[in-house]
Amino acid sequence: MLHRRWQLLPILPVLVLALFLVGCPKRPATTSAAAPAPGAPAPGTPGAGPSVAGPGAPGAPGAPGAPGAATTPGTPGAAPSPREFTAIAALTDIHFDFDKYDIRPGDAKVLDENAKWMKSNPTYLILIEGHCDERGTNEYNLALGERRAKSTMNYLVSQGVRANRITLISYGEERPQCTEKTEACWDKNRRAHFLVKAG
Amino acid sequence: MRRPTVALALVAAGAVALAGLLATPRPAGSQAVDVFLNVMAGGAKKLNIVIPEFTLVAGRDTQGLPKRIPDVAGADLTFSALFSVVSGAPPLPADDPQTLKQMLTESAASGAHAALHGLLTLKRDRAEAEMRLYDLTSPEQRLIATKRFDLPAADGRRLAHKIADEVVYQFTGEPGIADTKIAYVSGNPQAKELFAMDYDGAGRARLTGNDSINLSPVWSPDARSLAFTSYMRGYPYLYRLFAFERRPIQLLAGFLGINIAPAWSPDGRQVALTLSKDGNPEIYLLDVATGAVRRLTRHPAIDTEPTWSPTGREIAFISDRTGTAQIFVMDAEGANVRQLTTSGFNTQPRWSPKGDAIAYTSRQGGHDIWAINPDGSNPRRLTAGPGSNESASWAPNGRHLAFQSNRLGSWQLFSMLADGSEQQPLTRGGGEFTSPAWSPRLP
Repeated sequence: MLHRRWQLLPILPVLVLALFLVGCPKRPATTSAAAPAPGAPAPGTPGAGPSVAGPGAPGAPGAPGAPGAATTPGTPGAAPSPREFTAIAALTDIHFDFDKYDIRPGDAKVLDENAKWMKSNPTYLILIEGHCDERGTNEYNLALGERRAKSTMNYLVSQGVRANRITLISYGEERPQCTEKTEACWDKNRRAHFLVKAG
Repeated sequence: MRRPTVALALVAAGAVALAGLLATPRPAGSQAVDVFLNVMAGGAKKLNIVIPEFTLVAGRDTQGLPKRIPDVAGADLTFSALFSVVSGAPPLPADDPQTLKQMLTESAASGAHAALHGLLTLKRDRAEAEMRLYDLTSPEQRLIATKRFDLPAADGRRLAHKIADEVVYQFTGEPGIADTKIAYVSGNPQAKELFAMDYDGAGRARLTGNDSINLSPVWSPDARSLAFTSYMRGYPYLYRLFAFERRPIQLLAGFLGINIAPAWSPDGRQVALTLSKDGNPEIYLLDVATGAVRRLTRHPAIDTEPTWSPTGREIAFISDRTGTAQIFVMDAEGANVRQLTTSGFNTQPRWSPKGDAIAYTSRQGGHDIWAINPDGSNPRRLTAGPGSNESASWAPNGRHLAFQSNRLGSWQLFSMLADGSEQQPLTRGGGEFTSPAWSPRLP
């Protein structure tokens, strides 16, 4: 062991990304509550296929049994990439109280208007981003952002928007709109943001 | 190779007494050690150790290794908080027992308890060091341990770390933690990448370069790979990268929703993580070999941030089921849930590798790091500002913790002992550093 040379190898991110873009299935959005997409992973999709068997790698993922399974857990979900969605002026952000994910009464009215637009433009897919301010901790905020996006979706669905048009993504505190350390700024960051994609 | 293992009894209160020298030969690699004092806290009496320049026995030195290796090993021993390094001893010529004897006698007379010397042989691109450890409290300053290390000459720092870890092993029965890495997150809101550095901040290297958000690195128990969350494919999926091998990044979990907050089981076969695929952030177990997942929590509240007890029998986690985020513990099968903390906002639980404490982050204005016993007793504050102190990560010895703090303005990595003492920076500017993940001892 002592003779072994250890080096931190830069990974090949460009290749990984390129493989993914080639192999990424384009499918209609599904809700976050759906099971992982059925269907075998695209060939060449990193992680889903058999791994390069490293020497002496007991228990490595990608071991026999994983590849080829029809519903391999951990296969990327079927939602389109968030990069395919764009913001639209007709849909207004809503905001949340600190450490909360319920819809404020005033924001329900905003969501009513958003729901109207969504129902009158039924071919559009919708991406709801859930965001947090910086005062939680990173991992907790990822879960909190998910809950905010989910509450928002539930409200829209209750107003008649079809759930299978909606995809959720939580950014936690990672994409702040405002970076000052003030109440006003934190309030701006605790938001659900809407993007659309022509279906 | 067989080598003598000498365990020194350290009597904590007041003066250090070295007594009961055992010279029982033990097969190399044996883990059955005699621990006399488990120094978990700062403030304990430290051993004075003298470390003269290493003696070049053969070969030509172009890197100043005879001085650099003892310097780095000395810094490691200082960091251990078990030793106080005495500097200023003159270099020792090779094959000169008289001069060596004189140095040892003089060091003992001036209060040193131990001496570390090394014989260095440089051959082409390799450096071989034979370390020799002396007990200066014994009448004849006896040699208590000797061990050879052979590494590429370019890995001089690692050679020093291994020597320091051996010294700690000889005095405590458990190796030091100098030969470890700390992974972390650095970047800007557009692109946060994973990096790793030596525990002391040297040798920074980038691990990801996908121009997205990469978060929550955690080392596998074999110290070969890291699980982490990345937005490299747009959504927050869980991946694994091999830090020292030419292997592609593997997707561990890519379910709809969040795939976050990974924690390796102690045997490395499972990763506990948070998924929202069934509609709500819940904790699941992922079988790393097969990719199968099993749900552990069922509650409409947020359940996230699992952390394993070192026995693998229990998992602590965060839930807001009582209104705000609190720490809970359950059996690894998901049963027998009990609440540890009841007030405030508590996240980022990290179970000590020794099992006796769970560190966590508590928000009371800013964030500070606390620890609590796994039975819920003795919650204690480890940091008290300034700024926010978050995201603790245990060193494999259960004595040291790394954490992130913005006490100096930007986010930097710091370390401290398990009682909150000896807080010191591990990074000093040059960007923002968050989410430290202390590796197990490197293989």
